[in-house]
Amino acid sequence: MKQLTKLLFLTMVFGFVGCSPKITSNFSNPQPQLSNEEKVALLDIQHKLPENIVKVGELKFQDSGFSTDCSFNSLMNRARDEARKNGANIVKVVEKKAPNLWSTCYRLTIELYNYNGDVSSLPQYQLTLD
Amino acid sequence: MKNIIKTILLSTILFATSCATIVSGSRQSINVSSTPSSATVFINEVEIGETPIEKKLKRNQEYRVLIELDGYQPYETFISKEFNAWYLGNILFGGLIGLIIDPITGAMYKLTPKELHARMNSESAFSTDGKDIYLSVSMNIDPNWEKVGQLEKHQ
Repeated sequence: MKQLTKLLFLTMVFGFVGCSPKITSNFSNPQPQLSNEEKVALLDIQHKLPENIVKVGELKFQDSGFSTDCSFNSLMNRARDEARKNGANIVKVVEKKAPNLWSTCYRLTIELYNYNGDVSSLPQYQLTLD
Repeated sequence: MKNIIKTILLSTILFATSCATIVSGSRQSINVSSTPSSATVFINEVEIGETPIEKKLKRNQEYRVLIELDGYQPYETFISKEFNAWYLGNILFGGLIGLIIDPITGAMYKLTPKELHARMNSESAFSTDGKDIYLSVSMNIDPNWEKVGQLEKHQ
């Protein structure tokens, strides 16, 4: 009976926390928070950064080992939320590892920037729903 | 012959016991309607179409739903993932494979609207029938818009 309780407990813990990707963040220059109405540009590897930007910080998405919610779109959506919280309106992917034999997750290194201009005019990645 | 039966039995136990995946599936439908209709629906800032609309969403993610219509205040709500009790069926029925498969497919979660009551007006409602989410929104007129006239149908 005790073992069943343990198994149930472990299952619940695994269920609630085990499937999220590991996020490491470093905000060296946080800016005032942006509202949800303000646009954030998502720049993939091939997209170029504009000039006159201020670096806000960095994000790193890694596979926690049990991560399941770690598609490219899902990670970019999370990065956008983190960007707004820290006043960044550009999410730039600087390192990208696609799922492979060792991990079913995208692993990304992202830099966040604040740009004093119209970000919607920048060539950027168009997010889709998985 | 016995070996074949054993193999079939074992395969059934191993592969047909991902309880939540079998019962719930890896996606859940959300049906959005609004009054007036033809409001634009955005999920995670991706435009999915105009109301009334149905969209199947992966169960292992969280979503921000925004409904916009010119002349009306935008309506926003969140859909979060919660633990799907069918996942426990893997323990009860001994489906160890299911303990792994259900998290991978996302079926160990069910999507549930969050903070809805606080944001809804009296004519809006949501319901879940255990599988799908139904969201019916009555849009509030934007007070910043001033009515300057009305078109009438030509007789």
